[in-house]
Amino acid sequence: MSDLYNESEQQAPRSGLILLQALILGLFCLFAIRLWYLQIHRSEEYQAKALENQLRQESIPSPRGLIRDRNGDLLAVNEPAYALGIIREDCPDVDRLVHQIAAWTGKDYFELKTLYNKNRKRVKPFEPLIIVPDLTFAQLALVETNKLRWPGLEIQFRPRRLYRYGTLLAHVLGYVAEADEEDMARRPDLALGDYVGKQGIELMLEDRMRGSKGLAQYQVDVNGRRLKERVLRHPQAGHEISLSIDLGLQKLCMDWLAEEAGGVAVMDADTGQLWALATAPSYDSNDFSSGLSSKQWAKLRDNPLHPMQNRVIQSVYPPGSIFKHVVAGAGLHYGMIAPNETVFCPGFVKLGRRIFRCWRRGGHGKVDMNRALVESCDVYFYKLGKKLTVDRMSEFAKAVGFGEKTGIRLPHEKAGNIPTREWKLKRFGESWQGGDNLNMAIGQGFTLVTPLQVVRFFAGIANGGRLLKPLLLKDEKTVVQADIPLRPDQIELLRQALVDTVETPHGTCRRIRTKGVVVGGKTGTAQVVRLTDELKELKDDQIPYRFRDHAWMAAIAEKDGHRFAIACLVEHGLHGGSGAGPIVKAVIDYLFEGKVTPNPEERKAKARAVRALSLKHKEKRRAD
Amino acid sequence: MPIDRRLLLYINWPLFGLAVILFLIGVLNLYSASGTRLEEGMNMAPFYHRQLLWGLMGLFGMVVFMFFDYRHLKTLAWPLFWTTVVLLVAVFFAGKTIYGARRWLDLGFMNFQPSELAKIAILIVGARILSREREPLNFIRLAYVFGVGLVLAGLIIKQPDLGSGLSILMILGGMILFRGVTARVFKTCLVAIPCLLPLSWFFLHDYQKQRIMTFLDPTTDPLGAGYHIIQSEIAIGSGGFWGKGFLEGTQSQLRFLPERHTDFAVAVFGEEWGFVGTMILLTLFCVFLYQMVVIARDARGLFGSYLAAGVFFYFFWQILINTGMVLGLMPVVGIPLPFISYGGSATLVNFCLVGLVLNVSMRRFLFKQA
Repeated sequence: MSDLYNESEQQAPRSGLILLQALILGLFCLFAIRLWYLQIHRSEEYQAKALENQLRQESIPSPRGLIRDRNGDLLAVNEPAYALGIIREDCPDVDRLVHQIAAWTGKDYFELKTLYNKNRKRVKPFEPLIIVPDLTFAQLALVETNKLRWPGLEIQFRPRRLYRYGTLLAHVLGYVAEADEEDMARRPDLALGDYVGKQGIELMLEDRMRGSKGLAQYQVDVNGRRLKERVLRHPQAGHEISLSIDLGLQKLCMDWLAEEAGGVAVMDADTGQLWALATAPSYDSNDFSSGLSSKQWAKLRDNPLHPMQNRVIQSVYPPGSIFKHVVAGAGLHYGMIAPNETVFCPGFVKLGRRIFRCWRRGGHGKVDMNRALVESCDVYFYKLGKKLTVDRMSEFAKAVGFGEKTGIRLPHEKAGNIPTREWKLKRFGESWQGGDNLNMAIGQGFTLVTPLQVVRFFAGIANGGRLLKPLLLKDEKTVVQADIPLRPDQIELLRQALVDTVETPHGTCRRIRTKGVVVGGKTGTAQVVRLTDELKELKDDQIPYRFRDHAWMAAIAEKDGHRFAIACLVEHGLHGGSGAGPIVKAVIDYLFEGKVTPNPEERKAKARAVRALSLKHKEKRRAD
Repeated sequence: MPIDRRLLLYINWPLFGLAVILFLIGVLNLYSASGTRLEEGMNMAPFYHRQLLWGLMGLFGMVVFMFFDYRHLKTLAWPLFWTTVVLLVAVFFAGKTIYGARRWLDLGFMNFQPSELAKIAILIVGARILSREREPLNFIRLAYVFGVGLVLAGLIIKQPDLGSGLSILMILGGMILFRGVTARVFKTCLVAIPCLLPLSWFFLHDYQKQRIMTFLDPTTDPLGAGYHIIQSEIAIGSGGFWGKGFLEGTQSQLRFLPERHTDFAVAVFGEEWGFVGTMILLTLFCVFLYQMVVIARDARGLFGSYLAAGVFFYFFWQILINTGMVLGLMPVVGIPLPFISYGGSATLVNFCLVGLVLNVSMRRFLFKQA
């Protein structure tokens, strides 16, 4: 304890005390001089700077890459647009400003205010919060003249996507819209108010097309008014893209679909490139880039014909008779039937107590494979289907690309359905029946396909057996996804049957005959009535209309080494030949002769009338 | 121990009062820096609320540090030193990594930073060693005293926390100068240190070099550290003679000024209170420091003197570096201004150290009369 207190009574070192006092004095003098210098000597200069010399940064939007068709025609471009934003740090009275903006633009004050409140916290300090994304020129002029009186008001220039053929290619191009929370979480370089691809090619090739933003630095005064601006980094435009689509052909297809719901896919059989991918009804991509109102959105969403649906890749249909080529292929592949083996068609087949009829009541008599395909004899395929059973049919159908996605570069593709015994048990809790085999053999029953799968398969028949990935970009390399598991002579057999269907007097596709072009085809009728639970949700508003069969036509065409496959589906188009045939014919004329055959007004009027009249009587299924 | 009434009598009340006044100025300034002119949702009200709470805890800590006899610390000096070393070593094995540096020990209810303890340990150990030195330090004694500090500083710099490590050395260095060194040592250091300083360049991290380069020419990095310097100078300079008035500073209110509640708090003050206000603040700080000199002078026994000198340097360096940085006289380093900058544990430590010095002051005559 004593250790605590026995310290010598020495005084603190004098020199040390002097040192500390000197340090205090030094500190005082140093800072006093500096303060005098800053706050008195140069005060005016700094006051001026405080008013003027404020540096802020701002990103410069990058223009999206242009989109062209295969011939270089511009499909999607960027045009200047002006957005109105608020920099809240500069704004003394946000409420008043929002009121004023509502007055200028005619928008609802509460809607704007809600938008402002919702996004307020997601904007960085000193960055404008965009509340009117798209000003008209009249509005711009009005705002521009008043701008200086409203600190915190910001007019932002940015490129806006313009689709030159808004409805023609909506399902291929998709659209852009303002990035939402999810987009921003996924891509850190996105900011509120940026546009991103939301559908179609715009979505799939977003990274390629977006480019990279630039950066500008500018000075503002204390009221946020801009003084000087300097670009620190220039924006990089996105890559330009050329589609494989031929604008003229696409236009033609859209014109022919006009008043009807349906889809057309035209594929170059040797490269897999799609020259047209038309689906109707359509919507206008431009509606989205200028901000869709909730009213507009509801209108699109509630339209009974579902204009947002891409019928070529997202809708599935029973294939009807065009599936007979698949079944014939399966018969050959498994050696279940020889091409020249004949089957007698009395007009019906009995299975147990049930009777399965051929579309021709009187029967076809003795038919071999070629005649069965050309005349679409149901009995031949009932018998073949019974032999093959579901196992072989579904295995072969899957091998030629049905029941799975084609991998096209578009979002939300559907796989369709190829039934199996297990599938039916799981789906319906019922075992596979003998009659199911017969139905499946003529393309009815549980089989569902997309028009894109159909065009890929028929392109495979046209090109000697390669199943190609459907491509949408002109510079994409051809991808062989699989080979049809048939010998070349067997494929030739199927191909010849297609050609004979067009060329021979009894063929069902005579109307697409074209001079100088080797054309083959197959019609199909997809019965919808018995599949109500599959299709009910699609067409519940239009009950009489929805009972009508879908019309299919698949075709191949060749001239001078150019080979194409075409798949056309018209919903409730009744007969493949009359419903889909003229469209296919117009496509072939365009492809090989450059002839643009317009859709006759009568056809449009008829289609309108069909829906309007809401025909109630059930159409009997008529295979062509 | 019954509290002797004379203890209260001898307390250095000016120092006590200045600590409280400086703290209150700090809270007021923080209120302004919290941006009342900004919209709701963006303000930083919790900052001055929390600061007030920490201040109350600080006052309590200050009183605690006053009411035990500081001389007990002399016997506790070495145990405290070794405890600190053990904790610093423990940080390497059991430390918690925050922002890429292992500096914290997780005590369950709070994260504890042993480097803060080291600052107190170096005051006490330094005071004990130096108070035993009968002569000005020669090279050997200097090496010994400085070596003790290096043990702590080295461990801290390794964490890595260069700022805290250097501040330990600077506090100890100040105390050594207070003790005095022989003329030979002084002259040698006067020549050697400026020569060796450039060498340290090679030991600096890139970002540290960058800061020094930025300090020399703020325009090279107008949006990073240079931005801080430029905006800070504008804020202070535009304050002029009388200042723009409380809550009227455009630089700070409009958030051009970064870190305005912590490292650059005094820039807010300078903008709003002008030359007059800032000079008053500076004077308050100088009187605050001077009171420690008075206590060091009057202390009964050298241990108390050195303790006061240590605390003097603890505050002196912070004031010098922070204000120097804000006034554009020094590179930007993250050192707060005592009592003015926002910071909970720093406020607590500041008050406690003031309490320690008050402790020394109130016991200056005790034993003459006992």
